[in-house]
Amino acid sequence: MMRKCLAWMLVPVAARADAQQNVDLSTVPPRDTVQLTIYNSEDLTLVRETRTVTFKPGVNPLQFSWANTLIDPSSVQLRFKTQADNLELLDTTFPHDKPQMLTWSVRSALDGDATVEITYFTSGLSWAADYACVSNLEETKTSFDGFVRIINHSGEDYENAQVRLVVGTINLVETIAQLAREGIISEHDADEYRAGRRRVAELGEKAKKPASNKAMQALGYAEAEAPGEPKKIIKEGLSEYFIYTVEGTETIRNTWSKRLRLFAGADAPFRIQYRYRPEEYGDQLVRLFILRNDEASNLGTTPLPDGFVRLLKDNGRDGLSVLTHQSIKYVPIGQEIELNLGPDPEVIHEQLPLRSYRDNLWFSRAGVDVRFSPGQGHKIEVKDQVCGWDEHQVWTDRIRNYRGQPIDVEFRRAFNGDVIFHSTLSPTPHDFRTVQFAATVAPGEKKDLTYRVLTKQGTNQEEQRVTLRDGE
Amino acid sequence: MSVHPGFMKPSRVAAAACVIAGMLAARDADAGIKLITLPPRERVEIQLDHPNVTLVEEERVVPLNAGVNEVVFAWANTQIDKESIQFRPLSDPENVRVLSVSYPPNENALTWQVASPKAGSARVRISYLIGQLDKSFAYEATAANDEKSLTLRQYVLLHNRANETFGDAGMWPGFGERFERPIGINETKQLLSAKFENVPVRKVYTADLSEFGYLDEGKKQLRVPMHYLLKNDSANALGKFPFMYGKARVYQDDGRGTTAFLGEDWLKFTPRDDEVRLYLGVAKDVVVKRTIARRDQNRVLGNLYHYDVVVKYEIENFKDAPVVLDIAESMQSLRREILGRDTGRNVEFELVKDTPMAEMLDKEKSTADRLLFHVPLPARGGDQKAVKATQELHVLIKNEW
Repeated sequence: MMRKCLAWMLVPVAARADAQQNVDLSTVPPRDTVQLTIYNSEDLTLVRETRTVTFKPGVNPLQFSWANTLIDPSSVQLRFKTQADNLELLDTTFPHDKPQMLTWSVRSALDGDATVEITYFTSGLSWAADYACVSNLEETKTSFDGFVRIINHSGEDYENAQVRLVVGTINLVETIAQLAREGIISEHDADEYRAGRRRVAELGEKAKKPASNKAMQALGYAEAEAPGEPKKIIKEGLSEYFIYTVEGTETIRNTWSKRLRLFAGADAPFRIQYRYRPEEYGDQLVRLFILRNDEASNLGTTPLPDGFVRLLKDNGRDGLSVLTHQSIKYVPIGQEIELNLGPDPEVIHEQLPLRSYRDNLWFSRAGVDVRFSPGQGHKIEVKDQVCGWDEHQVWTDRIRNYRGQPIDVEFRRAFNGDVIFHSTLSPTPHDFRTVQFAATVAPGEKKDLTYRVLTKQGTNQEEQRVTLRDGE
Repeated sequence: MSVHPGFMKPSRVAAAACVIAGMLAARDADAGIKLITLPPRERVEIQLDHPNVTLVEEERVVPLNAGVNEVVFAWANTQIDKESIQFRPLSDPENVRVLSVSYPPNENALTWQVASPKAGSARVRISYLIGQLDKSFAYEATAANDEKSLTLRQYVLLHNRANETFGDAGMWPGFGERFERPIGINETKQLLSAKFENVPVRKVYTADLSEFGYLDEGKKQLRVPMHYLLKNDSANALGKFPFMYGKARVYQDDGRGTTAFLGEDWLKFTPRDDEVRLYLGVAKDVVVKRTIARRDQNRVLGNLYHYDVVVKYEIENFKDAPVVLDIAESMQSLRREILGRDTGRNVEFELVKDTPMAEMLDKEKSTADRLLFHVPLPARGGDQKAVKATQELHVLIKNEW
């Protein structure tokens, strides 16, 4: 296991005056607070920590090192939270022989303590959402619980850290893991790099401001949560992003992960629809639970980040049944959530060709073929070749419903070429080549959804689209 | 209850999933010496109703202190899906709550932080998906001596390669009755899940060149397979649920108090109202020779033709009993035979009115691609000679070029 080795030293002035000196005396101020802002779209975490440092008048060297961690050296910054008027950062040095270390020279007019804040980017910390749903037996409502799991492979233990999780996509021109491996870059590149990162740093800064007083107290080690109560996760929107702030503090050790409840949704109503959409769900009729991420569904407190959904059902036998496990993409507040249960053995779909025929045949007249036999004379044949025709095919989508409730089915069928879709199914166009139609099938009913597809072939073809016509 | 120094890991030999309830408060989690309890399973349910995954639900009574407790769930040598593990308090679920879950590195374990308002025992249910514990189906069909009916048994086979023992586990395959049986490591348990008696069965002989080919191509003699057909509906003593895929072994009452093994086949997924088809082998006593008796090419215009086609079937039944022969024709295959090539277009055809086979057409099962006829054949005569029956399918294949 990688040994945690994020260290911070106050090096005596005398020691720094002689670079060849081999005996140093150092003090190691511990972390007072630490805040992690973890992005899920990139392998990026903004760490903000405070420490109390004792300064003496004159130039104070401060050494910051991060062996065996994944910190981007170019991102490390020092600020003075107290005594800022008496302290000045003179320079930052990245020693050539110690790749995971820097020293700051701080000129102090102070003889006493000051609180400093160090911020840096690290990789190796990540988070992911997942959701657990349990439908009632009647399949009308479901619980919908969201969780976040924080995973620490950064090489560093973070104890009693305030944790913020950012939902949204940010832009990085280089990965933090790469920068952590490569060490410090040239000053010119570093300037460019820092400028490029300003947006990210500002975002982190903004992320701090809307935090509640309670959360700010947490930075000062207040135990915000009542013992025995699950921690609340404060959800706030910021620009194009959403920030979750975990109440109180969390300890996340290196290589461990921790899962916390993001929200608990109860009795979220949903509707069931059967869909045939080959481009989305494959060549099969699938069963979907469709609910909405809104207040009416007892949800809607947050967009749902990308995550894995586990949908189970009360099976009426004092137990649960698995319905589906699937990933979902980011769901904004107000948008529908689709959970695909796959084909249903109690709802049978067959697509049957009933009849095929051709008409409206056109011929290309390519000349006359004249043949001669001494015994029989001339034989003249006009060379006609089929060049255009209308192809008709009558289909039925047959649905058998063995469930105890009526079901809604929806079909999307795509056609290539110049097609006229004849039916009494009240179809609607989904796009220029795709027809959509729907029906309700009663319990125990066998329903045939019949239509005729006329495809204009050869020279009859004038368009590349589907036209809808009422009638058989 | 056991006393263990340090953090207990499950035995690599016993490979049991276990729950360890910490008697110390969560904040003492780093203490070197702990008193821990090993609550046994009180109830186990194995949910087998999903086609691809198996859900295990187990209940244990966990002693909890007032305050925050650590409950450790650990396993070894089993394929438990760590992400799927859920903890639900059944006792006082409003107040006994999971605060967080921690996942230690490189261990098959997790720790729930559980808050309890008071000290005492709490019944909890832990559920998880497990691999290598799965099911399959098998069927046994025993036909009566006269082959008019049969008894169909459906078995669920539970295969436990999950390296875990489940004592008196409840199991539910998704339909039918629930079972409660113990199942040990590497055991397969076969359970009778349904039995249907006096199921009407139809023995069918099928002549279908495109699907089954020739028995003797030189003589144009078709391979005629035999099947038992069972309709999965209530009128035929079935129809309770769809049949899942599984191996079916077929026996017949030999009239001497024992049964003869007729063969086995894979029973395909069969929804309600569909037919189960069990292949029995190739019939030797029903001989079908198929020839194209007519191929008239009638020009409509230019390169456009209609084809007047007669397919002739010469049929002999050498059996003592009358049988029904199913004759199927794929129109795509027939056109390929007539034209000598594929055109890529649909086949436009019509049955000519004079074809006597039209009366035997199964309109329900025929489509624009495949025609199906049921042709009754008389038993062979008293002189042991089969009655040679000739059937002609007269079709007009239209608008081809």
